[in-house]
Amino acid sequence: MEPIIVVEDLQVAYGDKVVLDGINLSVEPGEVFVILGGSGSGKTTLLRNLVGLMRPQAGRILIDGRDFTSMSAAERMDIRRTMGMCFQGSALLGSLSVADNVALPLREHTKLEESTIDIMTRIKLELVGLGGFEDYLPSELSGGMRKRAGIARAMAMDPKVIFYDEPSAGLDPIVAAGLDELIRTMQSTFNLTSVVVTHEMESVRIIADRVCVLHQGRVAGIGSLDELERSDHQYIQQFFARRPDDPGTADADYARSLTNID
Amino acid sequence: MIDLVGRVGRWVLERFKEVLQVSVLMVDTVVWLVVAPLTGKGFRWRSSIRNFVEFGVRSLPIVGMISFLIGVIIALQASYTLDQWGANRYIADLVAVSALRELAPLMTAILIAGRCGSAITAEIGTMKVNEEIDALEVMGVNPIKYLVAPKFLAMVTAVPAVTALAMLIMIFGGWASAVFVVGVETEIYVTQTIGAIVEKDLLTGMIKSLFFGIAICWVGVYRGFQVEGGAEGVGRQTTASVVTAIFLIIIVDLIFTVLFYYV
Repeated sequence: MEPIIVVEDLQVAYGDKVVLDGINLSVEPGEVFVILGGSGSGKTTLLRNLVGLMRPQAGRILIDGRDFTSMSAAERMDIRRTMGMCFQGSALLGSLSVADNVALPLREHTKLEESTIDIMTRIKLELVGLGGFEDYLPSELSGGMRKRAGIARAMAMDPKVIFYDEPSAGLDPIVAAGLDELIRTMQSTFNLTSVVVTHEMESVRIIADRVCVLHQGRVAGIGSLDELERSDHQYIQQFFARRPDDPGTADADYARSLTNID
Repeated sequence: MIDLVGRVGRWVLERFKEVLQVSVLMVDTVVWLVVAPLTGKGFRWRSSIRNFVEFGVRSLPIVGMISFLIGVIIALQASYTLDQWGANRYIADLVAVSALRELAPLMTAILIAGRCGSAITAEIGTMKVNEEIDALEVMGVNPIKYLVAPKFLAMVTAVPAVTALAMLIMIFGGWASAVFVVGVETEIYVTQTIGAIVEKDLLTGMIKSLFFGIAICWVGVYRGFQVEGGAEGVGRQTTASVVTAIFLIIIVDLIFTVLFYYV
C-alpha cells in the first residue's frame, strides 16, 4: 500500500537557525505514527509543516501522492479538508459553543441542512464522550474535555489523517490515559491514520504503531517501539531510559545555543 | 554615521514590509467581500450584522453623549467671540458646518477606534495566541473570510451611520447651548442651521467617515495578526492599534480636508 504521507529531505529554518535538516519519513495508511523527541527537537515544527502551517526551505511533503509544499493556497485549503488536527491547547474558538465548534467545518465546507449538521455534531461529540455538552462554551470545560472536543472537531469532516500535537500535555495521568485510549479507538474503528507528536513515553507505549525519534532537527531513528528500544543510537537509548544529560555536556550545549559558536 | 544610516534603512524596510502586508490584507478582504460571494463561496452575513451591532449600535451611547457635549462647547466658544459683534445667530452656522465637515466624523472615528478597533486587535490577537487562527487554516477555513470580511463590512457601514447620528446630536447640543445659555431663539437657530448646511458639507463628512471606518478596521485587523508572545503581545498590539488608528484617522482627515478645500 502507498504511504499516505511522505516527507523527503525536508529542511526548515528560522532565519539562520536550521530547525529541521534532511528529514525523510513516510506514514502508512491506518497506522498511529508517533513523532517523539525532547524539547526543541523540532517535532512541533515538523507537525506544522505536515499540516501546511509553515513552508519548508527545501524538500517535499506528499499527502496522498500530492506535493503539499508546492500547491497553491486554494489547493492547500482543499486538501486540508481531508485532514484533522488537535492542537496542544485544543484551539477551540472561544466565542462558539462546543457544538458550534464541531459544526464549523461542516457549515463552511458542505451544503448540508442545519438539522443534519446538528445530528452529525451530536454523533461526533458522543464518539469522544462529550454527549450532553453541546451548549457549553470551551471555557466551561476541563482541559481533558477541551481536548476531546478538539478531537470531535478534527473528526467532523471524516478526515483521512488526523494530527495530534502533544495530546496528553498538561493532563493528569487518568485523563491522559483516557485520551490515549480514544486515539487508539479512533484508529481501530475508522482505520484512521494518526500522526501524534509527543514526548510522553507512557502514551507512546499505548498508542504507537511506529515511532520516529527526532534529535536536534534530524531523524535519530524510525521503527516500532521494540526496534527502537533495541537501537544502539545513544540519544534514543538515553531518551528511552529517561537518563539525564551529563551536566558538562548540557552546559556546553546551552552555551552553544546562546552563542551559536561550536 | 554608518550605524545611523543602517538604522534608518532598517526602519524604512520594516515600514515597506508593513505596507506590503497591509496591502495583501486589503486585497484579500476585498476578494472575500466582493468576489467570493459572487462566485458562490458565501459571506457570513449574520456575523457581519452582529459586528455592526457591536461597532455601531453599542457605540451610540458614548458617541451620542460626547457629540452632544461637543455641540454645547462649540456653541459656547463661538458665542464668546460672536457676542462681541452681536452675531450670536451665527453660532448655528458654525456648529452645523464644523459638526458636518469635521467634528462629528472625527470624534466618532476616534471613539470607535478606541472602543472597537482595539477590540478587533484583542480578539484576533487572542485567537492567534490560542492557535485558533491556525485551527481555522487547518480546517480549510480562510481566516480573512471567516473573521475579517464580516468585520470590515460592519465597520465601513457602522462608522458612517453613527457619524450621521453624531452630526444631528452635535447640532442638537449646539442648539441646547445657544437657546438655553446664550439666548438665541429656536426659530432663528433652525433657520440659520438649514441655511448654513450645503450638500457638500454632508458629503465631505460622510466620505471622510467611510475612509475612517476602513482605516480603523484594517489597522485593528493588521495589529491583531501581528500579535506574538502571549498576553503581553496582545496588550502591546492593542495599544499600538489605537495609536496607529488615530494617527491614520488624522492623516486621512488632512488628505480629504485638503482635497475638499480645492474641489
